[in-house]
Amino acid sequence: MGDTVVVVGAGLAGIQVSHQLADLGLKVHLVEKEATVGGLSAHLGKVFPTDDCALCLDACEELFSGHHRRCQYRSLLGNQKKLNLHTLTEIKSIKQDGGRFSVSLKTTPRYVMLDRCVVCLECINVCDVEVPDEMNLGRVMRKAIYRSIPQGVPLAPVIDMNSCTKCTKCVDVCKVGAIDLEQRSKTRTIKADAVVLATGVEERSPSILPGYAYGLCKDVLTQRELARLLDSTGATNGKVLTASGKQVESVTMILCAGSRDLNAIDYCSQACCTYSLKHAIMLREQGVGVTICYMDLRVPLHSHSFLERARESDVTFVRGKPDHVIVHEGSPVTIVEDTEALKRLEIESDLVVLASPLVPHAAEKEVFNSFLGDYGFAARHDAPKGIYACGTATGPTDIPASVAEANAVALEVYMALKGGA
Amino acid sequence: MSKAIEYTYFPGCMIPFRLPHFELTMREVLSRLNIELVADEGHSCCPEPTTFTGVDFEAWLTVGARNIAVSESTGRDTMALCSGCFHTLAMVGHTLQSDSKTRERINKRLKRIGMEATGEVTVKNILHVLHEDVGLDKIRKSIVQPLKDISIAAHYGCHLVRPIEATHMDDAEDPMWMEDLIEVTGAKPVDYPDKMACCGAPISPSDEPKSFVLAADKLRKIRDAGADAIVLVCPTCYTQMEMQQKKAIEHLGPEFSLPVLYLGEMMALAMGMSDLVVNNARRYHRVKLQPLLEKMGVGK
Amino acid sequence: MNIDSLNTSRFLRNDFKPRLARCELIAVTPTSISSDLEFRNWILKQPEGETLLRCYQCGRCTSACPIAEIDHSFNPRLFLEKVILADESLAENQLIWTCLTCEQCEVRCPEHVKIPQILILAKVRGLVSGNTPETALDRARSILSQGRTIQVSEPMLKTRDKMGLPSLGNPPVKQLAKALKELGLAEKLENIKSIYGGDGDE
Repeated sequence: MGDTVVVVGAGLAGIQVSHQLADLGLKVHLVEKEATVGGLSAHLGKVFPTDDCALCLDACEELFSGHHRRCQYRSLLGNQKKLNLHTLTEIKSIKQDGGRFSVSLKTTPRYVMLDRCVVCLECINVCDVEVPDEMNLGRVMRKAIYRSIPQGVPLAPVIDMNSCTKCTKCVDVCKVGAIDLEQRSKTRTIKADAVVLATGVEERSPSILPGYAYGLCKDVLTQRELARLLDSTGATNGKVLTASGKQVESVTMILCAGSRDLNAIDYCSQACCTYSLKHAIMLREQGVGVTICYMDLRVPLHSHSFLERARESDVTFVRGKPDHVIVHEGSPVTIVEDTEALKRLEIESDLVVLASPLVPHAAEKEVFNSFLGDYGFAARHDAPKGIYACGTATGPTDIPASVAEANAVALEVYMALKGGA
Repeated sequence: MSKAIEYTYFPGCMIPFRLPHFELTMREVLSRLNIELVADEGHSCCPEPTTFTGVDFEAWLTVGARNIAVSESTGRDTMALCSGCFHTLAMVGHTLQSDSKTRERINKRLKRIGMEATGEVTVKNILHVLHEDVGLDKIRKSIVQPLKDISIAAHYGCHLVRPIEATHMDDAEDPMWMEDLIEVTGAKPVDYPDKMACCGAPISPSDEPKSFVLAADKLRKIRDAGADAIVLVCPTCYTQMEMQQKKAIEHLGPEFSLPVLYLGEMMALAMGMSDLVVNNARRYHRVKLQPLLEKMGVGK
Repeated sequence: MNIDSLNTSRFLRNDFKPRLARCELIAVTPTSISSDLEFRNWILKQPEGETLLRCYQCGRCTSACPIAEIDHSFNPRLFLEKVILADESLAENQLIWTCLTCEQCEVRCPEHVKIPQILILAKVRGLVSGNTPETALDRARSILSQGRTIQVSEPMLKTRDKMGLPSLGNPPVKQLAKALKELGLAEKLENIKSIYGGDGDE
C-alpha cells in the first residue's frame, strides 16, 4: 500500500488533516486554489470559541484549550518535508486507477517565485497600479502586486495580472530575481492512495434573495463582510464605518437570511448564530447599538459564553424573521414583527447585516460532482473507497467541529493505508 | 392565411358585461395574430376567487370544477381574459390534478349532472397566449404604429401570477412578460417599487378606505417612477385603479391622474386600430386618455 | 412515564430571569381561548389546510403583509397561532375579511404555508355567525340564481351586440343547483344576516 495523500483545500480542516497525516509519516499534497491558506477563517478576523485572531491562524490540537495558539508562519506548513503545499492550484480531474488515484493539478502563475522571494516587499512599494482591495470590500486600495492577508502563508506576494501593466518596476527592484512576469500555468499529475476533500464553504451571496436590499444599499452587508470591517488590520483599523464613511451608531442583524427557508437554502448553517453574536459583542465594545432579529438562537454549548456576553452587553434581541429591508434616505430600515410583543417594527439603523447561509465550494466544480451528496456537501458515508472528506465540506459547522472531524479523518486515512489490518 | 388557431374562451362576468371594450380590443388583436376565441354557453361564473371562496370553499371548488369539465369537453385549451377567472380555473384545475381525494369528492357531485373533471385541461391567461404561444417575434411584425416616447408601467395583479405552481407564470416576485409586450409595442417599460403590490380591490367589500389607501399608494409609486400610463390585464384591478382612481387618490392628498390602459387597448393602438380605443374611451375611461393619445400621435 | 420518578431538581434554575414581560400575550393564554379542536381538525383536513403544521411562527408573513403595514391589528402570524391553538374565535373576527389574498405572505413564507387559504377556511367557518360582508353574500346569491356575479341587463346585451361581440347565452343554473344541492348553500344564504351591514354589490 502506498502512502501519498492529496488534501483538497487548505482551510483549517485541510491544514489540520495535512499536519496530522504528515506527522504520522504519510506524504501529503495540500492543494489550495487561493494564493494563501486559511480559507474562510482568514476572513473572519476573530474566531470562537477563544476569540483568537484568525487572519493567519494555523490549525493545531491546542487551538481550543484557550492558552495556546499557532500562527501559520510559525508552523511547519511551509517547510515540513512530508507536506507539499500547492497554492493557486485547482484540481482538474481525479481518476481512479486500480486501487490508486491519478489527481491532475493545474497551478496558475503567482509571478513571484516562492523559492527565491525573501519577503522584503520592495516590489509592493514600487508598484504604481492601485485597484480596490476586495479583501476589504473595495474600501481601500491595494497594488497590482500585493498580499491579501499580511501574514498569510506563503508570505510572498502575488501579482494580479488583470491590473498589472507590466511596467517591470517590481522586476527591477527585486534583488533576488524572484519575479517572472512571463511565468506560465503548470499542470502535473500526482499518484495518490487517498484523497481528502476539505473544500469548505463560502457565504452565499444574498443578491439573489428578494427583500433584503443587498446590492441596492451599500450598507446592507453579510456577516463575513462585517468581519472585514471589524478586523483590526482592515481598512479602518477595526472601526466600523458606513459606505459613505460615517461612524456607524446602530446595526441590525438578520439571522437566517436565506437559511431554513424553502425559497432559498433549507438547512441551518450552524455557525452563523455564534459569529453574529461574536460580532454583536465586538460592536458593543465600540459603543455601537445592536439589534438581532432571530427565529431561534442555535448556539452550541461550547460557545454559550457568546450568548451570555451579548445579553450582558445590552444587545437587543427581537424574535421575528424580517421580511424585507427598505432604503429610507440612504439608510436601511428593517421590517420585522416582534413576535413576543406582537408589534410590527420598522427598525432604522446605519447598517443591516445578513447572516447568509454557508454553501459548499465543491458544488461549483464538476470534478467533485460524483463525490457529493445533498446540497453539494461531500458524503460522509457511501463515498468511493479512498475518498474522504472533512470540515465544512461535509456540512456547515464551526471551527472546533471541523478540526475534530479532520483529526478523525486523519486517523481513518492512516488506518486504511498503514493500519496493516 | 391559414386556419385560425382556436381557444375556448372563458368570458366570466365582469369583462363581457361591465367592460366589453376589454373583449372587443383583445378579440381584434388576437384575430390579427390569427387566433379565434370560441365561447361555450355551458360556462357559468368561474366563481370569483376573492369572496365566494370565503362563503363556501367547497361550492367554489364544485362550480369551478364544473366549468373545467365544460372546458375539457371542448377539446381545446381554455383561455380566460379575466385574472379572477383565470385564477379560479387554474387553482381548481391544479387542485383536481394534485389532490386525488378532492378530485373524487368533487366528481361525485358532478356525476349527478353527468359530468366529470380531471383537471388535465390547459388553462391559460392572455399572457400565456401572447408571450408564449404566439411569441414576441410574430407580434412585433404586426406592430404598425409603435408607441414611441411613451413610458408604460405594467401592473400584473396578484391573481394572474400567484400561486406560481398553479398559474405557471414566469416569476412570483418579478414577472416580466408584460414588460416584454410593452417593449414590443415600441413603448418603454417602467420599473417601480413593489411592482407586485396589490391594488386593494379584494377588500373593498369589507374595508373600502383601506383598499383605497393601497390603490393610491400604488398609483403614487407608479407616477413617481415617471410612467405616462399603466397597462393591466385584470378587470377588478381596472375598476379599482381606473374607475375608482379619483376616489382613491383623494385619500392621499395632492391630486393627480394617471391613464390606465387594458393590455388589449395598448396593443390595438400599436397595431393601428386606434379607433377601437378612441371610440370607447369616454364610456369606459374616467381618467382622460386624450393627452396620452396625443402624445402617441393618435386621434384629435 | 411517571413524572414523580424523574429527578426534577436539575431542571430548577434559581438564577433564571425572564427577559421580557409576557403580559402582552394574554390573547393566547389558555383561559381566553374558546378552544375547539374540531375547528382545527377541520382546517387540517381541507385542501392545503395541513400546511398549517409547518408554521414555526417566525413572523415573516406579518412583516411582508401590506395590510399589516397599514393596520397593526392585522397579524397573519397571530391568526395562524390561533388556528394552531384551536381558537375558533378567529372565524368571527372581522379582520380576516381584510386579507387581500394577494399571497405576498405565502410567497415569502420560508415553509410555504398556505396562509391566505387558511384564512379563507376561517372565513367559511364564520359564515354561520354572519362574519361575511354583504357584498360577498349578494355575489354568492347571484351566482346561485343567475350563474353570474352580476345582474346582466338589457343595455349590457345591446352594447355587446353593437360592438359585434357574440352572444354568450345563459349559464345552466339548474345544473349548478343540482351539483351544489348537498352543500345546502342556498338555504344557508337565505338565513344569514351579515354583521357588516352595507348596501350590496358595487
